[in-house]
Amino acid sequence: MKVTTLDALRSWLDTVVGEYDVVAPRDVDGHVLYRPVATSGEIVFSYERPELSVKDYLLPATEVLLRVEKRGGEVTVEENLADRGQVIFGVRPCDAHGPATIDALFLEQEPPDTYYSHHRARTVLIGMACPQLWEGCFCTSVGGAPDDATHLDVLLRRVDGGFAVDTVTEKGAKLIAGLCVEERDGAPDAPTTEGEAVPVMPPDAWRPLFGDNIWMRHGERCLSCRICTYVCPTCRCFDVADRVVEQGAGITRIERIRVWDACTSTNYRRAAGGHNSRPTKPVRLRNRSFCKFRYYPEDYGPLGCVGCGRCIVSCPVDIDITEVLQDVAERSGR
Amino acid sequence: MSSAEANPMRPYLGRLAGIEDIAAGIKLFQVEMTGPEGQAAFSEYKPGQFAFVSAFGAGEAPFGITSTPRRGSLVEFAIAALGHVTNTLHSLEVGDPVGVRGPLGNWFPMEEIKGRDIVILGGGIGGAPLRPVVHTILDNRVDYGHVTILWAARSPDLLVFTEEFDDWRATPDLDVHVTVDRGEEGWTGNVGLITQLLEQVNPSTENTVAITCGPPIMIHFAFLTLGKLGFNPEQSLTTLEARMHCGIGKCGRCNMGEKFVCTDGPVFWQSDIVGFLEGLL
Ligand code: SF4
Ligand code: SF4
Ligand code: FES
Repeated sequence: MKVTTLDALRSWLDTVVGEYDVVAPRDVDGHVLYRPVATSGEIVFSYERPELSVKDYLLPATEVLLRVEKRGGEVTVEENLADRGQVIFGVRPCDAHGPATIDALFLEQEPPDTYYSHHRARTVLIGMACPQLWEGCFCTSVGGAPDDATHLDVLLRRVDGGFAVDTVTEKGAKLIAGLCVEERDGAPDAPTTEGEAVPVMPPDAWRPLFGDNIWMRHGERCLSCRICTYVCPTCRCFDVADRVVEQGAGITRIERIRVWDACTSTNYRRAAGGHNSRPTKPVRLRNRSFCKFRYYPEDYGPLGCVGCGRCIVSCPVDIDITEVLQDVAERSGR
Repeated sequence: MSSAEANPMRPYLGRLAGIEDIAAGIKLFQVEMTGPEGQAAFSEYKPGQFAFVSAFGAGEAPFGITSTPRRGSLVEFAIAALGHVTNTLHSLEVGDPVGVRGPLGNWFPMEEIKGRDIVILGGGIGGAPLRPVVHTILDNRVDYGHVTILWAARSPDLLVFTEEFDDWRATPDLDVHVTVDRGEEGWTGNVGLITQLLEQVNPSTENTVAITCGPPIMIHFAFLTLGKLGFNPEQSLTTLEARMHCGIGKCGRCNMGEKFVCTDGPVFWQSDIVGFLEGLL
């Protein structure tokens, strides 16, 4: 195996920040979050699962799509696309499965999304394997693993005195060309994957459960706070709106933005005229669950859940997607 | 940096060439595409397709296109003032710039249904996307059999495209029946629901295709009545309205189960959405 030391990793990262936008786990008032960093000193190398996924850096919570300028009757429209490369460091394996899931829709279904494609193309993902499953994690039940390198460009795994370095893609190899590594015998310890296996039924098993009382049982206490959707690495719903940023002297500057949206919100399906076709919490929870385990895999291939467990630990009323999955398995009698 | 491929979220620029009041709170907007790319994109579009219209500063919203390219290069939309974007559009004047993103979605299979009798059911502003169907039939009259148009609205002042009725009625082998839920002074026509009118007219189902459009609830009842008259789900077409933010299958807003109104539709055979329509009611 190839091994690098923490010091070597730090000094390499300090060269990367000059050239790329670098995002890495940082301690923000006691919360570990993927955040932009200016030096390696800001990065934490020992952490559990960052509280939010990397979604914000590929499909930002708020993104300016177009800058529109109105001058009298004339309008000009400019696309807003970042021009620097981006490195996301310390990515947990499930957080690489997240974008891979969104790829199946935003890149592979025609027409590809211009902004997401652009962020994907400019981004390199450097992963950091988990030594174990954390609270709520069930990646191993949905095709992932704490040390899964799939969908990463480079995977780091902790070993005595440093990190084992696995280069996964060409893009990753290019980026880490300047990282000091030494060849060593042995292999990193396998992570412990203790934790309950969650049964995940295939999409067709869900079909007959649309009218089941599972949705009432779990959805009734939902607060429609939408946190499950915002913390989720695969939830991709968005809304589009205009905001006027400057107005005066015959010139109006407008930004067309897109913002995360949530099918779990009360007014998601409120139509012009006031009619709401998904008026209750249980039917909204049902849509979120069906989207992840039936519609998404049927329409685009991958499951819409990477097992990160964030929705479970974030839910203020303890709605637990693994309990939903248990019930679905029980009801479908397979 | 600019994108190599066309950006599906970027509207083409256009200018309002005409604005007409066509019913209470409903205006017809005629858009002239001002750039070559927009002109090319809207040189060919089909009955039933939709587009997003931008009122820059307020936002954009999806509307069925109510024109056909064969009748001219202006792209038309019938728009009711119901929300922020539509109210802003209503405040615009001829000459003002707008954006148009599209054409999007599938279309009525006008080729496939050639040679068949056609029953058209249009309710309120929901009838707007059926106007290109009517125009296509009128402009290719020999290609289609007998045509029955049932046109409805809640009240007479909400009926759209009434000034075209004479033109439609002058077409051979074509009947137009109009009804309103509530009459008002001076109204001498039918009063009652479109479904009641449909039962009265009782069109033959033989070699016939029914085409409907309107709010989901109207479509639901139209399908029920059509079923009563002997139409089967393989004979009925509809276009669906849904709230949309992208029109390209990404934003998630318009799903009915695993189908998306924007990319699998907006035009569907009834048989393809059995069990799904309820989700929109
Ligand atoms: S879900 Fe798996 S990969 Fe993600 S943080 Fe938990 S253990 Fe690590
Ligand atoms: S549904 Fe929950 S567990 Fe699954 S990926 Fe989303 S946040 Fe993670
Ligand atoms: S409008 Fe966005 S998915 Fe249909």
